Amino acid sequence: MGLDLSTKIGKIKLKNPVLVASGTFGHAKEFENFFDLKKLGGIVTKTITLKPRLGNPPQRIVETPSGMLNAIGLQNPGVEKFIQEKLPYLKKIGIPVIVSVMAYNVEEFVEVVKILDRESGIDGFEMNLSCPNVSYGAKAQASSVKMFAHDERMIEEVVGAVRKATSKTLVAKLGPDVSDISKMALAAERAGADVVALINTFMAMAIDIKTRKPVLANKTGGLSGPCIRPIAIRMVWEAYKKVKIPILGIGGIMTGNDAVEFLVAGASAVQVGTANFMNPSASIDILQGIQNFMNKEKIQDLNKIIGSVKN
Amino acid sequence: MKKLKPGLKPSMYKEICKVLSQEKVAPGHFVLTLESPKISKNAKPGQFVQILCADSTEPLLPRPFSFLDADSKKFSILYHMVGKGTEILSKLKKGDTLSVLGPCGNGFGLRIEDGGWRIGKRQYLMVGGGVGIPPLYHFSKQLIKNKISNKNIYIFLGARDKSLLLHEKEFKKLGVHLYLATDDGSCGHKGFVTQPLENFLSSILHPPSSIRIYTCGPTPMMKAVSKIAQKFEVPCEVSVEVPMACGFGACLGCAVTVRDEGSTGHRHAIACCEGPVFRGESIVWD
Repeated sequence: MGLDLSTKIGKIKLKNPVLVASGTFGHAKEFENFFDLKKLGGIVTKTITLKPRLGNPPQRIVETPSGMLNAIGLQNPGVEKFIQEKLPYLKKIGIPVIVSVMAYNVEEFVEVVKILDRESGIDGFEMNLSCPNVSYGAKAQASSVKMFAHDERMIEEVVGAVRKATSKTLVAKLGPDVSDISKMALAAERAGADVVALINTFMAMAIDIKTRKPVLANKTGGLSGPCIRPIAIRMVWEAYKKVKIPILGIGGIMTGNDAVEFLVAGASAVQVGTANFMNPSASIDILQGIQNFMNKEKIQDLNKIIGSVKN
Repeated sequence: MKKLKPGLKPSMYKEICKVLSQEKVAPGHFVLTLESPKISKNAKPGQFVQILCADSTEPLLPRPFSFLDADSKKFSILYHMVGKGTEILSKLKKGDTLSVLGPCGNGFGLRIEDGGWRIGKRQYLMVGGGVGIPPLYHFSKQLIKNKISNKNIYIFLGARDKSLLLHEKEFKKLGVHLYLATDDGSCGHKGFVTQPLENFLSSILHPPSSIRIYTCGPTPMMKAVSKIAQKFEVPCEVSVEVPMACGFGACLGCAVTVRDEGSTGHRHAIACCEGPVFRGESIVWD
């Protein structure tokens, strides 16, 4: 008998639990020649903002032990061009499409989601509340909060406002640089998020010891890759104990077993990120790895794995 | 100018390649030849491959290398052992395998040609330094293969000392004009390679429109070459080297600041798919 790999996040039924993480998969077309995109559980797009963004100046990336720092700065064509140039292709693939969106204040967040909500072919929105590589608006500065995801009240406010703008599945992508991730996840849940995505990159830094200058032009960047996985697992595990809504597990997944670890910790599905840069077909290799694990362990139903961690 | 869209080229492949040979060619420098039915067949001078040096998380990301040479079955790269990834490469033996993605990016000759680079009556000037030299060798060979006289190819190589004038002998074998420069004067002109280039451009009688300059090497060298090309009004292409993650336009990590007609006057081009070859004057060097 075949395996049942299906899972659900919010209103979105996934045929398998492997999605690709925002900012690591472009707008999917970049990968079309490497594998059949239909095989994926779903796609999360590169983050879209209301206006186009040039992104940060170079140098934007640097490799670190078992990881990398990036400070791309949300380079994107803006919501209008996204709808014209990227969305038609994404729609055609025939799998759930979650559009990652970001804004500098609550009103702009609502505006960009409202514009996208009118379009067909979008199954949900992932609110990027935690990009570490852009500066935020005056409001954020006034409260000395660097990003929405750093403050429970701000999470509640922005998620609550966007919730009113769409009935589609709403994912709140949270950042790891907080003292209690479950509090942040609970805030997103209270405000009406259907799903929390844990976690975005860690704010980090590399310095050139000869020039004494930060390696990245943005000075700091977001740390991703297998080096962050144990922390991401801990955060998913912590949040799973508190929230009722499904969790999307993200953080340095390289293999099927890594993905299973997130599912066991409590994630209903996972997103593959940095691994896409090493191997463009990493996501479906990981999917195959999950199936191999299930076959070996004689597990028929993926849902038997989710949250099966023994405390 | 042909506008190139970012994104995957249909002729990009992921292959497991067998090591055919490995040879030390200069202190710390190696030529690695890999068997590859698909990548090599599609390789154009100035394009590159992404090599995953280890099947582990350390080093994590693939490393980009431009082609030194390629035919229908195999290709080679010339690399400098500078870090963990290249150290692992240097230990590979015949029969070992590597995961390779390519050919990535766009090669030379796309941006400044009117009618394609196969037009014969031109002077092709190539200026290389360090591991920027290999793609110029590939390009020279390709030009000759396409019936361009080796007498119309002028190679300017610069290095710290004589031992690092990479592939000098092989260039000689091609019968091209060779101009050398070393920092310590152990071979050729003592000083930067840009001096012989400038001397050459000052002395020749060809109209600038019949000359093309291609350069690959350290950024200060390419910046200087680009300035010289502008001074003599000669079209120039530069092949940039920037830190890179994916190599196919997904991560947007390998940004290069280029001039743009928009309100900001510049934008960030993604080197792996829009480049790595750019028109010299389009780059914002500072």
